[in-house]
Amino acid sequence: MKRGLLTLVVAALALLPPLGAPYVLHVAIVVLVHVVYAQALYIIMRMGYLSFGHAGYIALGGYTSALLATKLAISPWIGFVAGGIVAALLAWALGAVTLKLRGIYFSLSVFAFAEVVNAVFRAFEFFGGPAGIAAVPRPGLFGARLNTHLQFYYVVLAVTLISVVFLYRLQWTRFGFTLLSLRTSATEALAESIGINAARHKTLAFVASCFFCGVMGAVHVHYLRFVSPFVFTFFLSTDLMVYVMVGGLGSFWGPMLGTVLLTGLGEQLFAAGYYKSLVYAVVLLVVILALPGGLISLPHVFRRGAATERATPAAEVAAPRER
Amino acid sequence: MDLYLHLVTQALAIGLLTGILYVLIALGLTLIYGILHIVNFAHGEIYMLGAMGVFYLYVVFKLPFVVTLLAILLLSVLLGLVVERTVFRSLRGQWLQLVVASVGLSLIIQSLAWVAFGIQEKNVPSTFTGVVSFGGIRLPTERLVAATVGVVLVAILYVLVYRTKVGLAMRAIEEDEETARMLGINADRVAALACAVGFALAALAGAFVAPIYSLNPGMGLEPILMSFLIIIVGGLGSITGTVLAGLLVGVIQSVGAVLFGAEAAYGLVFVVMIVVLVFRPSGLLGRA
Amino acid sequence: MLELRKVTKQFGGLTALQDVEFTVETGELVALVGPNGAGKSTLFNIIAGAFPPTGGAVIFKGTDVTGYSSHGLARLGVARTFQQTTLFGEQTALENVLHGLHRHLPARLVAGLLELPSYRREQREVERRALGVLELLGIAAYRDAIAADLPLGIQKLLTVAIALATEPVLLLLDEPAAGLSHDEATRMMNLVASEIRQRCTVLLVEHNMRIVAGWCDRAVVLHFGQKIYDGTPDGLTRDQRVVDAYLGVAEIG
Repeated sequence: MKRGLLTLVVAALALLPPLGAPYVLHVAIVVLVHVVYAQALYIIMRMGYLSFGHAGYIALGGYTSALLATKLAISPWIGFVAGGIVAALLAWALGAVTLKLRGIYFSLSVFAFAEVVNAVFRAFEFFGGPAGIAAVPRPGLFGARLNTHLQFYYVVLAVTLISVVFLYRLQWTRFGFTLLSLRTSATEALAESIGINAARHKTLAFVASCFFCGVMGAVHVHYLRFVSPFVFTFFLSTDLMVYVMVGGLGSFWGPMLGTVLLTGLGEQLFAAGYYKSLVYAVVLLVVILALPGGLISLPHVFRRGAATERATPAAEVAAPRER
Repeated sequence: MDLYLHLVTQALAIGLLTGILYVLIALGLTLIYGILHIVNFAHGEIYMLGAMGVFYLYVVFKLPFVVTLLAILLLSVLLGLVVERTVFRSLRGQWLQLVVASVGLSLIIQSLAWVAFGIQEKNVPSTFTGVVSFGGIRLPTERLVAATVGVVLVAILYVLVYRTKVGLAMRAIEEDEETARMLGINADRVAALACAVGFALAALAGAFVAPIYSLNPGMGLEPILMSFLIIIVGGLGSITGTVLAGLLVGVIQSVGAVLFGAEAAYGLVFVVMIVVLVFRPSGLLGRA
Repeated sequence: MLELRKVTKQFGGLTALQDVEFTVETGELVALVGPNGAGKSTLFNIIAGAFPPTGGAVIFKGTDVTGYSSHGLARLGVARTFQQTTLFGEQTALENVLHGLHRHLPARLVAGLLELPSYRREQREVERRALGVLELLGIAAYRDAIAADLPLGIQKLLTVAIALATEPVLLLLDEPAAGLSHDEATRMMNLVASEIRQRCTVLLVEHNMRIVAGWCDRAVVLHFGQKIYDGTPDGLTRDQRVVDAYLGVAEIG
């Protein structure tokens, strides 16, 4: 049944768009982009690490591609991959240091990293300073630039499908299975005692997560045709975290659910400006206090039997990685 | 060369003054973290509210400065008690949800602030104008006063934590909450107190900063970022570590700004943090 | 197989272990004994790689492994259980054991991502082996139960199963009978003394004398971080220093 549903969704995503108005396509693009960000973040959060700095890695990917395209006239297709690689490299370098840190130290250091990235981009003219980089071109295909919403939508859809499928399949590999053993510092100690190199696994997961953020960040920038230090901010990082928490950490589909619901809601509220953050925050607090497992755990809460996918008791995820 | 040295020394002095304000904010964070095991992301917003409070009470409603300060003190204490009782207490022990909840709180306060206070930057006129000169170094009186009050507050905090029974209770809970409870310490009440004191420190820091910087609802982000860096460098839960790290960060930022530019100074502080972490993962004086 | 030379450990100003020396021969079942605070857990943690000693050396199978990480030691064939029953709580018993088996398998990431038939065959084989370990300990019936929901007795057996899955040559059991009823403890120790010790050398921490006397070849007694006895369990109860140590502690405590 699940396969059928998924095929249906993918088919709808692929076939319906030509019928949609440009604004609808815009919303769809924004949703898909954030879905990948959220799914990437999910991998990290599932290991018990709360990252408030993913926007930094997204920004790295975006800026890399923008710089390559505007300064060296390199094709955005290459830029996408380059963005992912740059983000992954920095994730690997910093991950080695920061993942050793206990839970909250990690969160703070990644948060600081993202702010510093933006500060560096703001400071130097090479990156366009506070104004950023404009006139970032769309990728070209068979000679023509993909300038319409519809055309770029398919680019975004393709990248999203590849990313989501990869991240999903990753869960079912031995590597993904081993990541489950690293959720708290107690289980990590147990994992180490049976020969699992926790540091290496965590770093690889972090690198994978940031790679996809970097790639999608690049795609995002080529969609906006613009990037600046004010595009990928702490607020994006917190938004992503809200999507994942509201959707629920218990299932791979949780973050996706949270993202689709809240981004859709957010776009409706966008006209209201700052109210979007307010609504998000209120929804977040309500979910945290009333439904700790996120929305994805609703059926699990109502049916106290086995769910098709075991929902993670929130307490297990929340166990402190310290002392 | 002589001018350079002079600029750097000047920056050093200013850095120390700024550092003390950072220390106030960071201490509030450390206190809340030590006792409640929450990193209060809303801390920056409390600081902002303290500054905004000065604008509205002192400038708009023209209340005397001292009355304004007392009002801010009281309101922040009240807010701390309320937040602890409603949000933090019910999530006790769930680290992830607590952090997320504090982020949510921060977003709510900020959003409401943008709506209520508007985007236009506000300014509070200096209460203490003029400059004090120490052998060639010129320090704005306003900052000097703010720093002095900051030092006094830190001293009071030291006395509170290390010389009173309440402080003893706080340290016991920080060491081992279960045992402390078994020994009869009312952990809930101490937690509420810690939250109240933490909020008060942040709000007062904001209040004293109000005449120095221009105010807007987003002003809490930079200080809280700096506080986080300070806490990591100094060690979570260590008061002395926070003080040292706060002063250090203030100086690095100030001197770094003179030598490399303001934005690069940020990066410098971050690099220092990474270096400290590589050699001492628990911070300079943190507990392993 | 295992040799400790002048192992010393200091925490700040406190000396937890002082020049502890003893050996464990292949195939033995040795107990590390002592009153609370004697340093048993500290020594255990050092042998298992949780932290390094301040001084001295740990020799395993002829190699100096002092300061090796716990996952490094696990790859050399050292496995352990924890005093606090530590499991992968929200996964099934079978999945818990699977974690232990994975160290023998190459990651084969690409094969896994594509779910190649050879990969699936490997997975089935691994599951079979995991089930085998559960059967060895008599808990195969719980294979699909969530670990955190199991009764304590079964959980303790599961922790041993996870450690056994790594196919260790040296198994460190930290108070395997703690918290168990008399019958459960007997069942556990019978397993340790028969099935388990056929497969590996066992060093266990225990302060229950009945268990030490009933099943172990040898006992090493620690008191205030120092070794005060190394010999048969029978001799232990008659050794004056051991008696003094336990009585002395009993008086203070």
